[in-house]
Formats: sequence, C-alpha cells, structure tokens
Amino acid sequence: MTDTHLLAAATEATARRLSADLEEPDWLLDERLDAVRRVADLPDETNTLWTTYLDLRPVRFDDVTTYEAVDGGLVQLAAEDERLPDGAAALIHITDGRVVGRVRSAAAQAAGVFVGTFAEALAEPRLARAFRSAVLGGKSIAADDRFGQVSRAIASIGVFVHVPDGVELSGPVVVRWSVDEPARAVVSRTVVVLGERARAGLLEELEGPDVGAMQAPEAAPAAAVAQNQWWGTTEAVLGDGSALDVAGLQDFGPSTVGFVSRTAITGRDAALTWALAHVGGAWSKSRIDNHLVGQGSSVHQAEIAFGGASQIVDLSSYTHHVGTDTTGDLLSKGVFQDRARAYIKGLIRIDRSAHGTDSYLGEFGMLLAKKARSVTIPSLEIDQPDVRRASHASSVAPIDESQVFYAMTRGLSEDEARKAITLAFLEPVVARIPLLAVQERLRERLEVKWVEAHGGMVEHAASEGMLTGSTAA
Amino acid sequence: MAAPKQDIVRDKRDEFAFHDDLVYLKQVKRGLSRETVEEISAIKGEPQWMHDYRIRSYEHFLKRPMPTWGGDLTKIDFDKIVYYRKPSEREEKSWDDVPDQIKKTFEKLGIPEAERKFLAGVGAQYDSEVVYHSVKEELSKLGVVFMGTDQGLKEYPEIFKKYFGTVVPPEDNKFSALNAAVWSGGSFVYVPPGVDVPLPLQAYFRINGENTGQFERTLIVVDEGASVHYIEGCTAPLYATDALHVAVVEVIALPKAKVRYTTIQNWSNDVYNLVTKRAHAHEDATVEWIDANTGSRLTMKYPSIYLRGKRATADIISVAVAGKGQHQDTGAKAVHLAADTKSRIVSKSVSKDGGRTSYRGQLKVAPGATNVVASVRCDALMLDDVSRSDTYPYIDIQEDDTSMSHEATVGRISQDQVFYLMSRGLTENESQNLIVQGFLEVFTKELPMEYAIEFNRLVKLEMEGGVG
Repeated sequence: MTDTHLLAAATEATARRLSADLEEPDWLLDERLDAVRRVADLPDETNTLWTTYLDLRPVRFDDVTTYEAVDGGLVQLAAEDERLPDGAAALIHITDGRVVGRVRSAAAQAAGVFVGTFAEALAEPRLARAFRSAVLGGKSIAADDRFGQVSRAIASIGVFVHVPDGVELSGPVVVRWSVDEPARAVVSRTVVVLGERARAGLLEELEGPDVGAMQAPEAAPAAAVAQNQWWGTTEAVLGDGSALDVAGLQDFGPSTVGFVSRTAITGRDAALTWALAHVGGAWSKSRIDNHLVGQGSSVHQAEIAFGGASQIVDLSSYTHHVGTDTTGDLLSKGVFQDRARAYIKGLIRIDRSAHGTDSYLGEFGMLLAKKARSVTIPSLEIDQPDVRRASHASSVAPIDESQVFYAMTRGLSEDEARKAITLAFLEPVVARIPLLAVQERLRERLEVKWVEAHGGMVEHAASEGMLTGSTAA
Repeated sequence: MAAPKQDIVRDKRDEFAFHDDLVYLKQVKRGLSRETVEEISAIKGEPQWMHDYRIRSYEHFLKRPMPTWGGDLTKIDFDKIVYYRKPSEREEKSWDDVPDQIKKTFEKLGIPEAERKFLAGVGAQYDSEVVYHSVKEELSKLGVVFMGTDQGLKEYPEIFKKYFGTVVPPEDNKFSALNAAVWSGGSFVYVPPGVDVPLPLQAYFRINGENTGQFERTLIVVDEGASVHYIEGCTAPLYATDALHVAVVEVIALPKAKVRYTTIQNWSNDVYNLVTKRAHAHEDATVEWIDANTGSRLTMKYPSIYLRGKRATADIISVAVAGKGQHQDTGAKAVHLAADTKSRIVSKSVSKDGGRTSYRGQLKVAPGATNVVASVRCDALMLDDVSRSDTYPYIDIQEDDTSMSHEATVGRISQDQVFYLMSRGLTENESQNLIVQGFLEVFTKELPMEYAIEFNRLVKLEMEGGVG
C-alpha cells in the first residue's frame, strides 16, 4: 500500500469538518489535527521487530467511504426502548453510522454512570473534565499506533463511559457495534473512565450484518460482497483502586475488515482484565497497549482467535511496566484451520523504575490444516532485573493424540473428540465473558466455525431466546 | 533494590591486549572502492570468476541499505577501514618459518608448543592472511583438507567453486555482500565421504593493527557420512577507534554428515562484529553451532541452520556476555525445510555494567516440512539494574503437525545463592562468578577441556573487568 493516509479521508479537511459538525471545543480539534499529522508521518508498523509481519494486502483502503458526524441527539432516538440485555448495567448500540439504541439500568442511572457520546459528555462540565483529562495530548492512544491515530483524527462517533468514584456496577456496560453497509467504514473511539475505587465491566460486541447467517455455513463466498471496515479504540483510564473487566467479542461478517486499538492506563492498585475473542472478519487487526503506571496495579489479559477460510488475524500487545510491583499476565491462544493466517506479537517492556514486576506472556497456537500458518513473536525488553518474574512461553502443536484417544475411550467419536479438545483449548477465554447469554453465543459460534471446516453437527445450539437482544437492525 | 556491591578489581583486560609492531608486506589504502576490490583480487592472482564475484558483491553492497534493526551501526565509517593487509609473503609450512613477531603474539595467547603436537591442525590467522598452517600427516592421509581459504581456491578449484557462496550468497545481507567483495583468509575444510576426523580442527584468529578489518571467509564441506569438529577462538587487542569484523561462514553437511562448529569469541570493546554464519544440513545430517560471544562493541550474529533434508538435526547453543558499552545482539535460526527434522536452540546471556544482550532468533517451519519437532529456550541473567536484556523470538509455523515449544526467562542472580556461597567462605564477587559460570555451563560442558578452562577464565575476566 502506497497511500499516505491509510484511509483517504484521514485528512485535515475531514477532521475540521467533523469537529465543526460536532461543535467540538478547540482543544479536541487540536487533538484531531495532531492525529492527522501522525497518521501522515507514521509508518504502518513502527516496531521494527514486527514490520515484516503486517500483511495489509487484503485491505481495500480506497474502496470505502467514512460516515458523517454522528451527533449527540440521542434523546430523539426511535430505539430508545431497545432492550437491556439480562444482567447488563447499560447498553449503547451503534449500527453503521447511527446510534440505534441506548439504555441504562435503574441502578446505573441512580449511581450517576454515564454512557453516551462525546458530544453529550462535553455538554456537561463534570463529564467534560473527566473526558478531557483522560484523552488530552493523545495520551490514551499509543503515539506510534498509526491505526489508532486514524480513529483519533477522524472518528465520526465517540462513545464515552464514565463510572464515578466508589461506584460498583454489578453487570457490564454493553457497547455494541453492528457493521452492515458495504463499502463503508465506521471510524470511532470509545473512552472509558473509572473513578477511584469504582468497579465496572465493559462488554464490547463487534458484530456482522446477520447473526442468523451462521446457520448456513455454505453461504455465498465473501468475495462477492464489497468490503466494509470498522475502525475503533477502547481507551481505558483506571483510577486508583478501581477494577475494570473488559470482554470483547469480535464476530464480524466475512467481508469486514477490523482495526481495533485498545489502551489502558492503570492507577495505583487498579486491576484490569481483558477477555477478548476474535472470530469473524476477513482481516482483523488488534493492538493492545497496557500501561501499568500505578504502584501495585495489574492486568490479566486472555485472548483467543479462531481463524478459518482465508482469514488473517493480526494481534499485537504491549505490556509496559512503569510503576513498582505491577503484574502483567497475558495469554493468547489461537486455533487456525483452512488457509487462515495468524500473527501473534507481544512485547513486555519493563522500565528501570518498575521494581518488583511480575510479567508473563504466553502465546499458544494450534494448527488444524496444512495451509494454515501461525507466526508468534513473544518479546521481552527488560531494564530492571529486580523482578518477581519476567518470562514468556510459546508453543505450536497439533491436537494431542493421546487426548483424542482418551476421549474416544470415554465414548466420543474421533470427530467429536477433536472438536471437544479444540474448543476446550479456547474455553479459558470463553468462560471469562461476563454475560452468560453472550458466553453461550460465543461457544456456539466457535462450534459452528469448527463444523464449517470439519463437518459434523452443531450440538451446542443456544436456544433462540438466549441470543440476547440480537438486533439485526 | 540497588545493584549488589561488588569487589573493585582492576581491569585486567590489557594483559590480554596484543599489539606488536609488525611490518605489513602489502596493504591496500584505507577506504572501500571498486579499485580496492580490484586490487585485492589482483594481489591474490585470482581466477576471473572470483574477480567478477567480488565486483558483483561490491555493487550489491553499495545498493543495499544499512539494516535499521539490531544494534547501532551508525558509527561505522567504511572509509576508515583498511580492507586488506598481508603480513608475510607466503603461507608458512612449519612453525620455524613463522615470523618472530607473530610467534610472540601466539606465545602471549598461551599456545604451548607441546600443544601443537596434540592439535589436529592449526590454521592461524594473523590479520588478513593465514600465516601458519600445519595439518597433521594423518589428516592428509585421510584426505582431509584443512587450509586457508585463499589456498583452497587455488588448490581445490572444483570443490571450492561448487560450494562457495551457495549457503550465504552476497545478496543475503549488506555485510555478506561486503565480505564477498573483500574477503581474505579464513579456513577451507573438506572432509571426504565416511571420514571421521578424530581430533578437532582449530584455527586462531587475530585482529592486529588499528582499524584493520577482518573479512575472513570460511567454507566447510563435510561429505556423506563424514564427521568433523571445527573450533575457532578469537581475541583482539584493545584500540580506541572502531574496528570491523565482517565474516561469512558457510557449512555444508551432506547426507549423514555430522558437523560441530565451536566459537569462542572475545573481540576487544571497539570491534563491530557482524557475522553471517549459516549451515545447510542435508538428509540425516547433524549440524551443531556452539557459539559464545564476549567482548566487542556490537556483535550481530545469528548462527543459522537450514534443515534441507529429511531427518536432519540442528542443535544451537548460543552464549553472550555483555559488559560496559557492549551490545550482544545474538541468537539463532533454525529453518525447517524438510520432513521429520528436529531443532533445538538454547540461548544464555549475561548483561552487566550497562551492557545489553538481545536474543534475536527465528524458528521457521516451511510448508512441506511435516512432523517437525523444535524447541527454543532463552535465559537471561542481569547482574545489575543499569543493564538491559531483550528477547525477540520469531516463530513461523506453516505445517499443522509441528510440535514447537519456546520458553524465555529473565532475572537476576538469586541473593539466596550468593548468601549461601558467601557463608561457605567465598567473597561476593567470587560467588557471583561461580553462579554465572554455573548458568553458562550448558555451553561450557560442550567444549573440549582446554577451551572450557579458557572460557571460564574469560568469564571471570569479564566479571571482574568492568566493575567500578
């Protein structure tokens, strides 16, 4: 790709127009303009370790157009009555370029939890302050992440979640993105701020046009449909003593390309977990930057990817230990069949200031087909040897035949045994998805994916009713 | 926690510094140009194909950009380097004919004359040319060829031309192109089919003379079912300005052959050591790199094994010690191109006094290489908190029945272990020294006895040298 802006729309003119349409303050326009410059100047991959392991060839940057500004006129939403998923604290649902639903539980409303657009947040001084201090100077998006900077430059919608000091939410805030329209690109940001001692969950659902399509694995090949794209961020700022559990379920349709940049900055003793599943999409890139700044803060990250057909999955994660006694525990697991390719890249960086670090990075792959390919690059850069642990491990292996044999002695057919072992390999992340219904949906999705390549029956079939708020808008 | 206090011991490295005022008989002028390359080729009286090969390589070197990864290469000034020096006119056949100055240096190195009888063969490189070479008669009888690479080109043109540049072509990287353009010296080894070379072949390499580049080229061909152990050890004098060592080593292990290549490298702290070492292992062959890197300002060296034939085996043990101002960017590569191949990589590194060690390795399983078993293990020890350690493994698997495992850890010396040893009467420095030696033992135990002793002495020197 020789284009200088990735998306043709990532220009100063677009940034200015969007900023004006959204009536943004000057400082936010400056943020956009700074990002436009970065997008123009940055290489696609700044980390020289990884430059040759980014394959953008299937991405059609020139074939998509972005959406106009999505303003904060949520009060007039037709779908204000969209159902709140069982157990959730709030839901905001964006389909293509429109906000189609938003609802908060009574408890969340009472506690002063905010879930809405940037524009709405900026209209309220208390929220505006929290928002500004979270994102000012681009600190909530990695400065060298060209793709994240695209969102910072030309996001046409921003979602802001704010949980005040001391508030503990029992269920997750659901942020659902549906990507449907061909030849379009959604460019967005999501900023999550947790006050001191706040506790909350966030469930991000990235879904394709038609959830029902999974029932027909022999559906038309992806090539017939024009590509569409989703660009977005999750920018989490965790106050001292707060706890945030993020679950992300990416299940785009087969002609969608996704660019996801996630960052977190942790306060003192803050605890962050990520449970992320990458299942759909023609091509999918995810980058996570964990900045463990506060003393005693921690991140536990579990990621799974299940790639089939000719999917490309590109996962990179940085764990940056800055404060003392911080903990990083990262696990990535992937299963790849057909001609799927995976690039799983990780870097643990331990600064000289980070005494007492405990950091682990595990990258494990399972290849189920001859044409599948797995590249893993688990790296370490360590300036402070006074660590509790600094290590990584990686393995790639086929299904363990002795496990297959064992399962068969217990009465499973060989196919059933292989399927069960494969799905069990991914289960550690599935089990960490907060809403039971979503968990079940993911299990079924993984099983369908297995069946698509290997035949057999989908046994898990979650009942229709369990597909919470499945809104093919 | 602050770095543990260590005994201040004076820098003993200068005891190991060699700089004899030697009169060079031939020397090209500083800097690299087409004329320099032409002149080197003319001095050597090479066949036309080698002349053309050098020119082609030189042109590729010019075109190729400097690598942007790895260590800092910006301080290398290619115009300040002398690309060829010849200290004496002809290859010496016996020890008595070796110039006294050179002998003195070897004495400082501590090669006792008695040892020579024990050694299977000694190819000693003083600057850019092999000056001393003695191959024991029995090796000659076995048909084993062990000589300077220049001599090999003259005396065994068929074998030479058939294999030279087939493992590391000039176009491989910028520095392999540079080597191919100006190479001089190095070892040429050929072991005929079925011959088991009973003793290790050993070559000592030296850099002497300020800003002398060493561009040696080693070609080892081990024919079917044969086996050999080749050892090179390097030390260099200390100089303030930058010296450059750009070597290329090519090893070809034909079917069922077994090759072990051992290196102990201790360049002085001003040397840029940029080496391309690669082996091809054919069917049922085994190749082992046993590689230690101490000294130098920057070393970038990743011994590689391409497993080209079925059931070939690769074993790489790589050790690096980085002290003050040093960066050891080392590692290993195993490229599985055939079915049922196996590889094992073990890397150990120690960084101290602001030194930096980087493990950079690649494990690749190409389509068609079924039933591969591979493992990579990297351990790093950091002796203080001004040093740095990196691990950059690349693992690219394209066959579904591969079994690959990789593990890496980084840490510091256990204070419990130090305390225990001190309670047994060792000083803190001695304790650390012993622990480091134990950490590196996976490497040391693969060495012949006299090298193991020398290596432990070297580690001790490194441990003491930079403190303060």
